[in-house]
Amino acid sequence: MDLQHIRQDFPLLRDNKIVYFDSACQSLRSQSVIDKIVEYYTDYPACGGRSMHKLAARVTEEVDAARATIAKFLNAKKKEEIIFTRNTTEGINLIANSLGFKSGDIVVTSDKEHNSNLIPWQVLAEKLGIKHLIVKSLPDNTFDLAAFETLLKKNKVKLVSIVQTSNLDGVTNPIEQIINVAHQHQALVSIDAAQSAPHEKIDVQKLDADFVVFSGHKMLGPSGTGILYGKQKLLDNLQPFLVGGDTVASSTYTEHEFLPVPEKFEAGLQDYAGIIGLAEAVRYLQKVGLEKIAQQEEELNEYLTTELLKLPKVKILGPEDAKQRGGIVSFYVEKVDVHQIALMLSEQGIMVRSGQHCVHSWFNAHQLKGSVRVSFYFYNTKEEVDRFVRELKKIMNVLL
Amino acid sequence: MFCFIALIVFAILGIFSASHRALAKEAFQCVFRRVTLRACNTGFKEKMQAKILGKLINRSSRVAKFVSHRFELLAWIFFILSIVSTVWVAKGVYDFYVYGNCNGLNSTGFCAFDPKGNNSAVSTISTRPCSLKPPTESDLTLKNVNVSLFPTKNTQAKNKVVLIGCYLCDYTRKAYPLIKKFVTENNVQYTFAHYPTKSASSYLTAYVDCAYQQNKDKFWEWNDKMFASSKEDLFKPEYVQSLLGKEGYDVGKIKACVNSQATKTLVNKQIDQLVGTGVYGTPTLFINGKAFVGPKPYRVYQFGLKPFLFF
Repeated sequence: MDLQHIRQDFPLLRDNKIVYFDSACQSLRSQSVIDKIVEYYTDYPACGGRSMHKLAARVTEEVDAARATIAKFLNAKKKEEIIFTRNTTEGINLIANSLGFKSGDIVVTSDKEHNSNLIPWQVLAEKLGIKHLIVKSLPDNTFDLAAFETLLKKNKVKLVSIVQTSNLDGVTNPIEQIINVAHQHQALVSIDAAQSAPHEKIDVQKLDADFVVFSGHKMLGPSGTGILYGKQKLLDNLQPFLVGGDTVASSTYTEHEFLPVPEKFEAGLQDYAGIIGLAEAVRYLQKVGLEKIAQQEEELNEYLTTELLKLPKVKILGPEDAKQRGGIVSFYVEKVDVHQIALMLSEQGIMVRSGQHCVHSWFNAHQLKGSVRVSFYFYNTKEEVDRFVRELKKIMNVLL
Repeated sequence: MFCFIALIVFAILGIFSASHRALAKEAFQCVFRRVTLRACNTGFKEKMQAKILGKLINRSSRVAKFVSHRFELLAWIFFILSIVSTVWVAKGVYDFYVYGNCNGLNSTGFCAFDPKGNNSAVSTISTRPCSLKPPTESDLTLKNVNVSLFPTKNTQAKNKVVLIGCYLCDYTRKAYPLIKKFVTENNVQYTFAHYPTKSASSYLTAYVDCAYQQNKDKFWEWNDKMFASSKEDLFKPEYVQSLLGKEGYDVGKIKACVNSQATKTLVNKQIDQLVGTGVYGTPTLFINGKAFVGPKPYRVYQFGLKPFLFF
């Protein structure tokens, strides 16, 4: 991978002043993505799928092409299985509110879910009386497949809604096995791929995933864009969550006729610039190569992990083996406020995230205040890791 | 304690900047929790500490470490300093309001509210005999001074006001309209002592004495007109005489009086008495024995007469 060349594609990285280690929250955008968004607003800023003029036709064409690009990215059977959302959270909420849950239905999650994949089920439990069961992780914070299997044997589970790669510690769950086990027990599986889709190849047909949700903003795409993949036969039977403009073929004062998927789920005027930009982001990632991306992140993680383990009082969340933590290194320093570390790093031009990373439930259960999270993407370098370690040592010297 | 000092600092900076206003709000939330006996768990202190240390670490890790390990102590020190400076500022504002100068009565130190020092400016008395040490405000007194030697009106009044001024002194001329208003609006015994700041105006003291002796009632009107006259005119005895004539004085008798030995003796006595007051510049206004040096705002004279007016 030609890192020097790649970094020139990202405006913020061109002068090497900023070290951006917060890509798990939101990645940087390549110039090509920015240009594509600007192109929409400059050359054809019209409505898609409504007006008949040529600008509108261009929008429809671009959005359609974007859908096809995403479908190919996921190896979906049809592009109609791709639904544009605002983000992962909206995708999960769509499933939660469309799958026809009723009292007593069981939803299973892991104990490391982002609030986006926790709160919707808690709300359904309160509103409809569904049961939300949680699979506890093993002591090293990896997925307990045996406990999961036992849970599914004992309960008639309707949906397994599970994170593929945890934003908390970077651990990737054995999603293929999870899907197999779930399907053996007639449970549907929804994958939160917010932290995996940007970093590794997801083949929805090979995985036999029922639903996959992820966000655009973590994979070079614009913020406010997301994807919900669903098998068409499942999507056909779902009731739309948001309804209104562009979701119906026709309506009278008392009745309406919904459009087929994907339109029936895409209510109101869409973020065309975002969708078109997201497709450009996917094309960029494909050009770089997801395998190379994963390899680069793994190397950086190994390098940083080795350096961090040399520092006394630094505790890494999850397994010590960097290979199991993808591009994320989540750590804390005993007796030091994690936000202080992040803020002081920020003053040195190094951007990391601190806190509970929207996984409050896990931190509360483990009585931890939070962690500093370093999250890599393919545009990061070893030199940046060196700079980070150097500054972290200085900060620890000051605070301890 | 950091939240308290942060609230003070950011509240002041917040007057000028919206971002600091937001920080002041955060600091207030923290202070509110503290005063309601709850722990400040907003993370504000940690955030600010990190920002400060983040900047310091670029300059010196040693200094950053020192600050980090004594952050609370330093916050206390700054808090106490800010309280002291706040009290100091409040005293300055009070002094300015009551005495016309932030540094207290008759101070000539710099005052932000009166940067040019207009309220304390005086014409130095060049005719005053030399002394070994420069005169100070504490030397000013009317004790053992025979005020009855000078023109006085409303002698029955309880409150006593003595103006020591000079017709040719710029600052007495500036202050005079206010002093006249003050004397007119309040029931005070008013004495005017002419203390020439320059030798060129020394001759006027005799005219004051003679005019007052000849007609006490007309004297005050003539006195007003003398202050209203141009300085150039007042250098000329003919002008002064014509002014006396216009007021109905017998100018011939005045001339004779001015040249008499008795008047010269009186003038010398008066100068001796004025030297005894310790006055080093004009105008100096004594209100019930308390000296106000320089042309003060009207409210200052009022406070001098009625100290509890403020309350």
